[in-house]
Amino acid sequence: MAGLLNLLYVFLYAPILYVIYASFSQDIVWPFPPAFTSQAYADLVSNSLYADALVNSLIIGLGSGIISTAIATAGVIGILRYPSKRRTLIIVIFLSPLFVAELLIGISSLAFNARILGLPGNMFSAIAANAVEGVAFSFLIILSQLVRYDWQMDEAAMVFGARPTRCFWEVTLPTIWPSLLGAFLISFILAFNNLEISFYNLGAIPTLPSVAWGSLRFGLGPELFALAALTNGFVFLIFGVMYVLMRTGLVKFGYRGK
Amino acid sequence: MKPDSTWRAIITPFVLLTGPGTIFISITLLVPLLTVVMFSFWRTESYELYADWNLDNYRVLFGEAAYRTFLIRSAVSAAVTSLICLILAWPVAYYIARHGGRYRLLLVLLLAAPFFTGVILRIAALQGILGPGGLINMTLGLAGFAPIKLLMYTQFAATIGHIYLYIPFMVTAIYLSLVNFDFALLDTAKINGAGPFRAFAEVTWPLNWIGTSIGTVLVFIPCLASTITPRFLGGPNATSFGMSLSQQFGETGTWALGSAMSVVMFIFSFLVIAIMQLTIDLRRSGFTGVGK
Repeated sequence: MAGLLNLLYVFLYAPILYVIYASFSQDIVWPFPPAFTSQAYADLVSNSLYADALVNSLIIGLGSGIISTAIATAGVIGILRYPSKRRTLIIVIFLSPLFVAELLIGISSLAFNARILGLPGNMFSAIAANAVEGVAFSFLIILSQLVRYDWQMDEAAMVFGARPTRCFWEVTLPTIWPSLLGAFLISFILAFNNLEISFYNLGAIPTLPSVAWGSLRFGLGPELFALAALTNGFVFLIFGVMYVLMRTGLVKFGYRGK
Repeated sequence: MKPDSTWRAIITPFVLLTGPGTIFISITLLVPLLTVVMFSFWRTESYELYADWNLDNYRVLFGEAAYRTFLIRSAVSAAVTSLICLILAWPVAYYIARHGGRYRLLLVLLLAAPFFTGVILRIAALQGILGPGGLINMTLGLAGFAPIKLLMYTQFAATIGHIYLYIPFMVTAIYLSLVNFDFALLDTAKINGAGPFRAFAEVTWPLNWIGTSIGTVLVFIPCLASTITPRFLGGPNATSFGMSLSQQFGETGTWALGSAMSVVMFIFSFLVIAIMQLTIDLRRSGFTGVGK
């Protein structure tokens, strides 16, 4: 099984490695035999379109990540801590975006914004539409981690006079933060480079995927490969840090064993 | 009853905590979807929508064979991809849940990290690996072998693309189910004489069926609506329902027909989910705390 796990990672990262390789290549369409250059990186820095696109993608990712995690956390605590007859209904509502394709989320919010509200493409619509999907994923992630959370700890804190908010910050949050972090990261990643939801909600505002989409007509720009390579470098740096933290046991990220 | 206590009866902590999400999803998902349902009964003429109610869009959709072909093609492709992902994802998720130890979160995040690279770039890179001038066929050519035709612009290549894009969802869903699964149950079954296969089939598999079915739906739905992958990897005979749908909102500007296609796609996905849901028995599920 470990072999299959490694094979899956190889499969998942082969195209990423290809992107990194091609970003250093003189010809991204025909990058064999190898001929290296850093031209793409120079072009990347000199063209402000890519910086704008990156900033917009980051804003959408962060906005959607924060909204999704906050709404989903409140929802999960609501259904787990306060039993209600409407529990199943609430679970269905929170998970429903998972069952609507991104294409439909994008197109329906375009239809609603453009034709009913008369709004042009804007960042708020894009963040909200991305957060719909984010809420559902965050809810699923946080719920599956918190199902076994022991709420008696909170009740103990309340018995000793802690108010609900203080109890959340000092008792609940220190225990559940790794699942919130996981939910935030997943909803951030999904929104950061989302094509189909963002595309229909942004009009002419550039994001990384929409720039890629736009440049398809002339062939993908090598700068996009360079930018993707840099993004991946950054991500792997963070993963490296996480690995060290896990290895040394400094931060356990919710793992309860030794 | 004093007005104050009535309010307190309505605004319970449950309502306060689940309310924001319910309102948010209603406004940003439900209302737009209803808008699309409404538009599907309207008429488009030179890029403008007119509110004269009619069924013409559905007549076109069910009348022309092309749309039926697109829908069947997308549905079959989505079903095949879901099945392959299911078979591949189970051992991987199982391994991470059982043997991932302290690195579990990192191993799961590694599945999500490819999403940092846009879908277009990743699919273009896959094309660069699989396509006619790509890594695999170039290498084969240099070694004196014939190129593998199957990898170049075929439904097979598109399926590889779909598996590539969506298998992380399947692994994550099964993993999330398995971390809540009490492996002591499995050991109990084995102690009582069940072989590994029987223990898996009668304990592990049914108790994690909710996670598995959520994963299946998470792969099936985006495959059904897939636009980019068939366009890049599928070749000329791979036009999907999603491609045709997004065209109605782009190049051709026939929003009403596009809306009708969205409704058909939504109903089709809903039917699949409903069928999956029938197979779920909450009393025998992993999420025992929620199923009560």
